[in-house]
Amino acid sequence: MAVFKHAYKGYEGALTPAWSRFLILPRYAFAEKRRSRFFSLFFLVSILAPLIFALLIYVQHSLSAMKLLQIGSSNLITVNAAFFMNLLGWQSMMTLFLAAFVGPGQISPDLANNALPLYLSRPFSRAEYVLGKMSVLLILMSIMTWIPGLLLFILQASLEGNGWFGQNLRIAGAIFLGSWIWILFLSLLSLALSAWVKWKPMAGGLLFGSFFVAAGFGGAINAILRTSWGNLINISHLIGTVWTSLFERPMHRGSGAFFFRVHGGDVPTWCCWMALVLICAGCLYLLSHKIRGAEVVR
Amino acid sequence: MSDPRIVFDNVSRFYGEVLGVNRVNLAIPPGITSLVGPNGSGKTTLMNLMTGLIHPTRGSVTILGIPTGRPEELFRKMGYCTQFDAFPKGLTGYQFIYSFLLVHGMVESEAVRLTEEALERVSMTAAAGRPVAAYSKGMRQRIKLAQAIAHRPTVLVLDEPLNGLDPMARNETIALFKQWGGEGRHVIVSSHILHEVDRISDQVILLSHGYVVAEGQIHDVRSEVKDQPMQILVRCDKPGVLAARLFEKDNVVEAKVNSDGRGLLVRTRDADNLYLMLNRIVLDSGLDVDAVAPADDDVNSVYQYLIGGEGGTT
Amino acid sequence: MTWSQITAMPWMLWRRQVAAILRLELKKSLFSKRAWWIYILTLGPVVITGLHSVFSSNMHHTLAEDNMIFAGIFQVYFLRLGIFFGCLGIFSNLFRAEVLERTLHYYFMSPVRREVLAVSKYLAGLIAAIVYFAGSVAVSFLFISAHWGPVFQQYLFHGPGLAQLGWYTFTAALACIGYGSVFLLTGIIIRNPLIPAAVVFVWENLNPFLPSLLKKISIIFYLKSLCPAADNFEGPAALLVTTTDPTPAWLAIPGLLVVSTLVLAYAAVRSRKLEVSYSE
Repeated sequence: MAVFKHAYKGYEGALTPAWSRFLILPRYAFAEKRRSRFFSLFFLVSILAPLIFALLIYVQHSLSAMKLLQIGSSNLITVNAAFFMNLLGWQSMMTLFLAAFVGPGQISPDLANNALPLYLSRPFSRAEYVLGKMSVLLILMSIMTWIPGLLLFILQASLEGNGWFGQNLRIAGAIFLGSWIWILFLSLLSLALSAWVKWKPMAGGLLFGSFFVAAGFGGAINAILRTSWGNLINISHLIGTVWTSLFERPMHRGSGAFFFRVHGGDVPTWCCWMALVLICAGCLYLLSHKIRGAEVVR
Repeated sequence: MSDPRIVFDNVSRFYGEVLGVNRVNLAIPPGITSLVGPNGSGKTTLMNLMTGLIHPTRGSVTILGIPTGRPEELFRKMGYCTQFDAFPKGLTGYQFIYSFLLVHGMVESEAVRLTEEALERVSMTAAAGRPVAAYSKGMRQRIKLAQAIAHRPTVLVLDEPLNGLDPMARNETIALFKQWGGEGRHVIVSSHILHEVDRISDQVILLSHGYVVAEGQIHDVRSEVKDQPMQILVRCDKPGVLAARLFEKDNVVEAKVNSDGRGLLVRTRDADNLYLMLNRIVLDSGLDVDAVAPADDDVNSVYQYLIGGEGGTT
Repeated sequence: MTWSQITAMPWMLWRRQVAAILRLELKKSLFSKRAWWIYILTLGPVVITGLHSVFSSNMHHTLAEDNMIFAGIFQVYFLRLGIFFGCLGIFSNLFRAEVLERTLHYYFMSPVRREVLAVSKYLAGLIAAIVYFAGSVAVSFLFISAHWGPVFQQYLFHGPGLAQLGWYTFTAALACIGYGSVFLLTGIIIRNPLIPAAVVFVWENLNPFLPSLLKKISIIFYLKSLCPAADNFEGPAALLVTTTDPTPAWLAIPGLLVVSTLVLAYAAVRSRKLEVSYSE
């Protein structure tokens, strides 16, 4: 083939580190989300609960505040594992709504508009793509869950003193680990549903459905078959059981956190762990099946 | 008797604050009409308005006397091949055409006959049994065209119908357009391929930034563009002599000799007078003239003059 | 509109068009692989009740307890969750999914009245929803007590069983009609139907806690009134299942049908204003 001018040269300039390239995706996602007033409002509302809990901790340790509010020592709330678990439960329910509105917008539009070849035709792997999309949810949900949880733990420890920090360090560990279990689970589920259906509202609806309908279905299984094993498809029960074990609370019907109650203690905790792992594995399988550069139709 | 034209009466369409088209007044007669304009000029908006897929913000559109707000009447006479490369899932090419003919309200036997006819027209009979999702881009384009023509519409609106077609398929499709135009139907085509627009069009509509810049037959449009001198190419044995003689008169603005030394490109403000002068010069000077033809009496030149670029061809 | 004007309308043409659209919709999206999530919603209770029938010998219970459990499952799972989310997905998708897939213009480019198109799509969704959910209800009702053998047959054919089966199935069908019309309308007029669906979901589930006047402004209130009585529930379930002030059937059924028809008519008229605009 004849070539007229040998003027072409490939790019020889500096490149960003390969390991951090996936962060481009959350950067643009956050820029887009910042433009949404609904999202900004929702985020502000999600900070309310930690503020209220912080106020409760402060009031506990401030005699003048107690006097002002006319609270006696018998009315004090005990700041213990249950306290932090309930905060985690409340914030985690908020993250469910966040995931339902933010999660579907990550992958569904790319699939609907055939954008995946644009990503995958660059030196950008499918794993980096999923990691980039997931990091949007990981970052947002972290800001709503374990970060305020640990800040409140530190606040409590600093106000309480007397070695409270060392005696209750496992609570901090439980907050961190419990949050990350929920965050990873919800992110994977949200992205998998977003990849499975190309319509954002449908993916959001499926996420709510998998939470509420599965709980109802699990209850139906328990009622019809006179068993407790239906709880294995009840996500709130699974998470509630795992958290109860992490926070070392007694396991019985009704234990757990706000919105994440244990529905009976007959199902072993390891089964709940396995159920969560299996659901995550299923989500990863769905993602690997759907995130492809081209679709072959036979 | 109903109006045989497609009429836009002071039509404007805004997408929020963004202008789609503004103050469009058109009366399109039967024949092949091309919509020409850069990206974002409003071609697809105009076509969507014509077919009732979107409603005008102001004004009204009627197709053969039928308002676009009555799709149940309009689409008995109209077919539209859109630019969207999307199809209902799970259908083969055959089912795609057949199903929508049934939606027209046709009986099954008639729908079968028309489906086979349309597939034959676009040379897709062999591939009709395969899912549309498995088609190549050119095949998808042809099946869309087949679906648009299956019910034998009087008005055919085609948004970039030659996209993705190989040269043979393009020629066949262009021949089809010419056949329909010759039968007195309306064929409205939008295209970026200006030399093909030249080949097939009876009239053109030039759009830019949502406004109709010009409309009519190319020759008439070109003659209206008075600020751009006409370019005429004269192939002869002594172009230098011809140039010298032409420059004795006032209405020649520029004369350029071809690099092969056998042609002269003349720019003039008065083409009719030039042709008269040419006759006299040829006789007086004994020039051997091979050809005389307008060099910028085409869509490409008019596009350059009215919409963008410096103008001129060759 | 006079009778002669009505008879002069092209009913035969509309009948053919409705049949064609039904055929296309049912084949394309409602009885296909893409409807996998509906299969899960509907086959789930069938499978569980089937397992219950198979393994029931290990359980100590009575036919009355089985009936009670089915009553609870019908109200809590079928009406509030399964049919609600199922209809949300089926009916919202009828128009919005086509906008997303950029295929709505094929219908709009056919010589069919938009009202006929809206009604045809609604009918397609309704047929699918009733087949799925009323079918699931009926089969689950039969399965849950099938292991009782002759006792259940006696209950079914010579007792209140058949009437209960009929009412459950009919109520499920009515739920599909009611929710279907609402979600068809939201799918036509709202870009993201999840938001009104969330509002409707919360409203319907708050129904037991509302004052009696506000209770009447919901679909679930009338559906609960039509369910066979379930008096022995305790705890939170009783709040969802039992009705302290039921509406008589002669009022609830026509009322629901009239409201659904009005909503559907409005949706059909609004569909004329729909434009093909595929940008997000």
